Amino acid sequence: MDFSNFNGAEQAHMTKIIEKRQMQDFLRMYSNLVEKCFNTCCNDFTSKALSTKEETCIMNCTEKFIKHSERVGARFAEQNAEAMNAQNQ
Amino acid sequence: MSFLRGNAPAPGGVNADKIEMAVTELDTVTDFFNRMVSSCHAKCISTRYAEPDLNKGESVCIDRCVAKFNEVQKKVGEKLQSRGAANAAAGNAATGGFTSL
Repeated sequence: MDFSNFNGAEQAHMTKIIEKRQMQDFLRMYSNLVEKCFNTCCNDFTSKALSTKEETCIMNCTEKFIKHSERVGARFAEQNAEAMNAQNQ
Repeated sequence: MSFLRGNAPAPGGVNADKIEMAVTELDTVTDFFNRMVSSCHAKCISTRYAEPDLNKGESVCIDRCVAKFNEVQKKVGEKLQSRGAANAAAGNAATGGFTSL
């Protein structure tokens, strides 16, 4: 996305909107991740406390999701850059 | 969004149309990305969670998944356009997806 043709006021406005969206996006990702990790890691309800196994699973689930998301982001950026180059030629 | 370059706003003022277009584009790209993350997560990541790192197979899977997801987006877009039903079928929400990302 190219905002270089925006004037100062418009860029400031856009920055505010982007910041707000990033916050919303983060909160949505957080609740989705809670749901995903809870559903895959917690299947035993004979105790109310998380077992060591469940806790490890949740930590790995979270860590792995972040790494997954970063990798997708990197590949996505590469593909977009490629598409941009193809368009400009 | 080069097609927006033509309408010059009042100096120092905010062109609401321009902002709205940019927000629509931002939302479309964000939505596309989030769908890609969740689809590829579902298809590539083992649910065993024995270790916190992506293993080799998962990493390769993600790379291919992203490429394929993009290709599917292109193919579906072409199909919709060639059927002349792009606007009717995809609705307003999708129109931003056919401009440059």
